[in-house]
Amino acid sequence: MSTKEQRERIELLQGTLDLLILRTLLLGPRHGHAIAKAIEFNSEDVLQVEQGSLYPALHRLIKRAWISVEEGTSENNRRAKFYRLTPNGRRQLALETRKWDKLAGAIARILRPAEQEGEP
Amino acid sequence: MRQRKRMLEQLDADIREHIERETQDNIERGMSPEDARHAAHRKFGNVTHVIEETRAVWSAVWLEQLLADIRFGLRMLRKNLGFTAVAVLTLALGIGANAAVFSVVYAVLLRPLPYQAPSSLIVLNETTPMVGTVSVSYPNFLDWRNQSRTFSEMSAIRGVGFNLAGVTQPENISGDAVSPNFLSMMGVRPFLGRDFYASEEKAGTPPVILLSYSLWQSHFGGDPNIVGRTIKLDDRSFTIVGVLPSNYRSLDKTDVMLPIGVWITDNSEDVKERGSRGDLGVIGRLATGVSLTKARAEMEGIAARLATEYPASNDRFGVALQPIRDAFVSDIRPAILVLFGAVMFVLLIACANVANLFLVRGASRSKEVALRIALGASRGRIISQMLTESFVLAVLGGVLGLALAVAGIGGMSRLIPADMLSGATVNLNGAVLLFAACAVALASFIFGLAPALHSTKPDVQSELKEGGRGASVGAGQNRLRAALAIAEISLALILLVGAGLMMKSLYRLLAVDPGFRPDRVLRLEMDLRTQQYSKDPAVLNFWQQVLDKVRVLPGVEAAAVGTHVPLTDSHGRTDITMEGMAVPAPGNYPHPDVHTISPGFVETLGVSLLRGRTFTDTDDEKAQLVGMINAMTAKRFFPNEDPIGKRFLFGHPSAKNAPKWRTIVGVVSDTKLYGLANPARLEVYVPLRQDAASDMTLLVKSGADPAALTSAIREAVQSIDKDQPLFAISTMKELVSNSVATRRMTLVLLGLFSGLALVLGAIGIYGVISYSVAQRTHEIGIRMALGAPRGDVFRLVVGQGLKLAGIGIAIGILAAFGLARLMSSLLYGVSVTDFETFAGVAILLVLVALLACYVPARRAMRVDPIVALRYE
Repeated sequence: MSTKEQRERIELLQGTLDLLILRTLLLGPRHGHAIAKAIEFNSEDVLQVEQGSLYPALHRLIKRAWISVEEGTSENNRRAKFYRLTPNGRRQLALETRKWDKLAGAIARILRPAEQEGEP
Repeated sequence: MRQRKRMLEQLDADIREHIERETQDNIERGMSPEDARHAAHRKFGNVTHVIEETRAVWSAVWLEQLLADIRFGLRMLRKNLGFTAVAVLTLALGIGANAAVFSVVYAVLLRPLPYQAPSSLIVLNETTPMVGTVSVSYPNFLDWRNQSRTFSEMSAIRGVGFNLAGVTQPENISGDAVSPNFLSMMGVRPFLGRDFYASEEKAGTPPVILLSYSLWQSHFGGDPNIVGRTIKLDDRSFTIVGVLPSNYRSLDKTDVMLPIGVWITDNSEDVKERGSRGDLGVIGRLATGVSLTKARAEMEGIAARLATEYPASNDRFGVALQPIRDAFVSDIRPAILVLFGAVMFVLLIACANVANLFLVRGASRSKEVALRIALGASRGRIISQMLTESFVLAVLGGVLGLALAVAGIGGMSRLIPADMLSGATVNLNGAVLLFAACAVALASFIFGLAPALHSTKPDVQSELKEGGRGASVGAGQNRLRAALAIAEISLALILLVGAGLMMKSLYRLLAVDPGFRPDRVLRLEMDLRTQQYSKDPAVLNFWQQVLDKVRVLPGVEAAAVGTHVPLTDSHGRTDITMEGMAVPAPGNYPHPDVHTISPGFVETLGVSLLRGRTFTDTDDEKAQLVGMINAMTAKRFFPNEDPIGKRFLFGHPSAKNAPKWRTIVGVVSDTKLYGLANPARLEVYVPLRQDAASDMTLLVKSGADPAALTSAIREAVQSIDKDQPLFAISTMKELVSNSVATRRMTLVLLGLFSGLALVLGAIGIYGVISYSVAQRTHEIGIRMALGAPRGDVFRLVVGQGLKLAGIGIAIGILAAFGLARLMSSLLYGVSVTDFETFAGVAILLVLVALLACYVPARRAMRVDPIVALRYE
């Protein structure tokens, strides 16, 4: 049994990964490997996702009907699963993004209170 | 679900594919194939772990959430022990009472009867407008069986009794003589030995017998080699051919079962007599696909043909069909259903109370909820978590409730008259547990949903913005709490009205004059069945000796024997002809109850002599035939003349035989033979010496406790015949009391439930009012600072409570008007809209509401304006 605190930390991480996946798929359907690559590339390799953790996240998003899945062939004619953002997922992404902005803003204000109060 | 399967099946391949791509990329970057593969694996992580995690996404999420919710719920309940204790106890009372009553409902109404396909088994009886449902005559049964096509099988069941000369004391046992197909038709197989042979339907069949399981155990020690042994009943030997299964159930006590051929052998006259209807019932099995309606139509046609064909015995006789379940439960069903309804109301009230508690607590938790919603928890998530909490509470209540139910079941099975249960065993079983589980689930929804929905309503979220004291609650919640209190009052009123009507009925019923004085009278039955009593003089001699010996016992004031004592099921009726009356159609003859009695019977039982004289020792076989009639018979036939000296005869006038006219010498008061609630009937009395009877009741009036005489009487009887059993021993008081047992049980339980409802309702009002006083402390303080007298404050608070009570009472009265109708068959001498009851209950509820408001009102009066104002 892991302690409660650990589990909460994992949950936070999962939520973030979900958001990143949704954001990546906003640009169009991708297969699993491409999603991982895109996240790494777009974050300029700051976010080093353990690629395996992508799969529980993908399945969770499918279950919530935020993304759908279809069979297809990739650029070099190989069989692959393509994940696509659903309208539900699109709404969720918008919601999560707003929340994220708020949270990030709030944390930023807490971490640098001087910048706000220091100005006369 | 299908998506889950497809996704998981391909998961391995997907992961392989992913790693393959990563490896390819790495190779393109210039790694060696081996390094590329290693790097790809490292970057992917533990494959097994990933697969497990992914599987978990699909499977365990809700279960884990539920477990977490339950843990959270338990933690919340532990934090508020007072709240938890009150809520659990309230629910336990509601669920426990429900489980206890349901155990009776299940045992009596729902548990499948131990027969094969019991729903197609139909009990058939004859009917006559003179008395209603009656037994069937054997010739009619044979014609029914021959002519019916809607029944695949039919079987006659004739009640029989025997004297069993026991080891310690002789006893009377009862049983059934049945058509040989009876057991196979019912789908019952003997536990030991064989079923009856078809040939055993005919007269002259050797005496064979099946023992009941309990008789086999008690008298033969469960001897496995019982088949082939004999049992001596009366003074005949019966060959035991088998033992009935232990779960065999019949409408009456069945100690033994024998083929009807044996009974026919002994009663060859009865069997031929189409007009003789004595304790013979018929059960039939509907042919496949035949409805009861269709069978009824066919049987009514057959009965009508028989009535035309044999008018002397069958004129106006019809047929009644009822499913076998109804035959088992028809008497007690209404009482049980009313109680079941009542106990459901109690549970609803308990739920309302707990919901109210939740709302109060919800108010103090609303900030927590608002915060969680703001942090992104979905409303559904929070509702489901709050419902889980209610569910945990309900489960605790249910467990405690089952403990209460075990006690309740014990109490109830003592309250319910045993013969009303017809062999049903009331206990805590799987069905009751299942019911309790459903009650728990339903209850947690009822009391959990409204508070959960309410405290997650968006407007409550403004809580967070207000940032004020947790105590400020919107008007919506107060309205909801008031509505719950009103509902509790309404439900309590309905229950109280039911209990009130029942109480008045029982009071009225016990005030009914039974036509006799039951005080200090003991009743014992004897049935002279052995060969030595085959001739009338021996029978008369026996009764005379019994009376001579019993009358001189110390403490005995009077003693007599007679047939068919009131309020026992025993009855004997026959047609009579009054001298000079217009000869009616065969089915329209007066059909009184006939009692054969010894001198002193009327005096011992305390029946009033209204005119003429009672019987004396000189009214014997050599004297003029005499009889007495009851007041109703006198009024019917001699409205304007003195009946004394008038004559009647039993049966119809016949040209063949000389008429045996009896002269009326006395008129006595009517007795309530068939129960206090039932109307009196025509009754006729004849002296024992002119109509010897071998099956009689000994009545003994004592100076003190009549039951104390039992053993002395038994000794006296056995000094005359040591093998003669006495049975059905009780006082007449007990008979009167037992005759209202179902109503008394209904009253006791309804009283209990409505008392519970009243207390819970009072707690409900108290809760609402005292909470509102706490909330309005500030307002009350301002009022007082502005000069409002304390009396006004008191009236303000009490007025608020009375308003709730008033609305609740009004709604309750309207509902009770409708619902009381459902219990009309349980009532006696009181209308379902009885003004006194309704008014009394309403006043009671107002008083209780006043009481419930008193404490919070006093608290409001003591509010110190300074403190109240500073408080904010």
